[in-house]
Amino acid sequence: MISSVRLKPLSWHPYIAPVELSDATPEQLDAMKVTPSSKKVSEYVRTLVHDPESYVARTVLFNAIMYVEGGLGRPDRELGALGASIVNGCKFCAVVHARRHAELTNSDGVVTALYLDRPEELGPRDAAIYSFARRLSAAPSLAREEDIASLRSVGMDDIEIIDLIHAISIFGWANRLMHVLGYAEGGK
Amino acid sequence: MIDAMDKAAGLSPDDALFNARRFRPEFVQGAELCRLSVLTPANGLGLETALRVALAHRIAALNADQVLIAEYGAKLAELQPTEQLLALAHGATDLDEPLATIARHVDLITLTPIEAEARHIALLAQAGLNNPQIVALSEVIAFVNFQTRVATGLRLMRSA
Repeated sequence: MISSVRLKPLSWHPYIAPVELSDATPEQLDAMKVTPSSKKVSEYVRTLVHDPESYVARTVLFNAIMYVEGGLGRPDRELGALGASIVNGCKFCAVVHARRHAELTNSDGVVTALYLDRPEELGPRDAAIYSFARRLSAAPSLAREEDIASLRSVGMDDIEIIDLIHAISIFGWANRLMHVLGYAEGGK
Repeated sequence: MIDAMDKAAGLSPDDALFNARRFRPEFVQGAELCRLSVLTPANGLGLETALRVALAHRIAALNADQVLIAEYGAKLAELQPTEQLLALAHGATDLDEPLATIARHVDLITLTPIEAEARHIALLAQAGLNNPQIVALSEVIAFVNFQTRVATGLRLMRSA
């Protein structure tokens, strides 16, 4: 029996200078009232607020996709986010969402299987979600009708599948910001 | 009302999936506001709409998304693009600067984001992009990659 993987949080730093609060325009200050996952005004927030219009629109959509009530369970959304982040190579996002998945499920099982690259150890529902997340995240997408059939065969309805598509796709967006505009640094 | 994502996914109001999508008005409205914020922002930060739409066409093509290729192609034609922007939209690499550097960056981040490094951002700065433009460009790339995945997923649901 292998021991489980426990991931330590990483910190993120941008390659470009973020907006200093003392230099921020009224529009930028207003934009930063909404933050991803309602966390603090981080270096990431101050970097992306260089373009306040897209920052606000994306952050509002991101929070809806990850936290809106009902539909797909939050651990499943986190698993979709994690699958996308692994394919897209965003280490920071992968660690954040792996940790959230472990917290929400009170288990390191899924995260351990994925970080040790043993997806065959996943249960059927997690396996269907993870496989779809990987295939939809490829560019061009490798997802096929069989992937939707797999999700339906483990009991997912259309509302849940639409939620999952959005959770995976929004990381096709977020990963291309976070991994491109900065880097992750280990343990504090 | 049919929006851009319905069009991209081929959904009409009599499809069950059209209505299933409306279970999440936050996603429907949110995706549309995002689209407007990256393609036709009130403040373009020096990246004109024709450039943004040309990039969207290029990114749709890299994702082999025929519906979005047609959509962005039509939109670009309305904007009467220069030869250079038309070439950029259609995948050319022998472009004037800063378009050549932008094109290389768009291709890399769309196809293999895992390979992105600090030097790729430095190249954009060397080509003359300022920090707001680097962020705005990143948002255009990332948005179209989001849009094509949502549309692809919905199309698969419709046909599966």
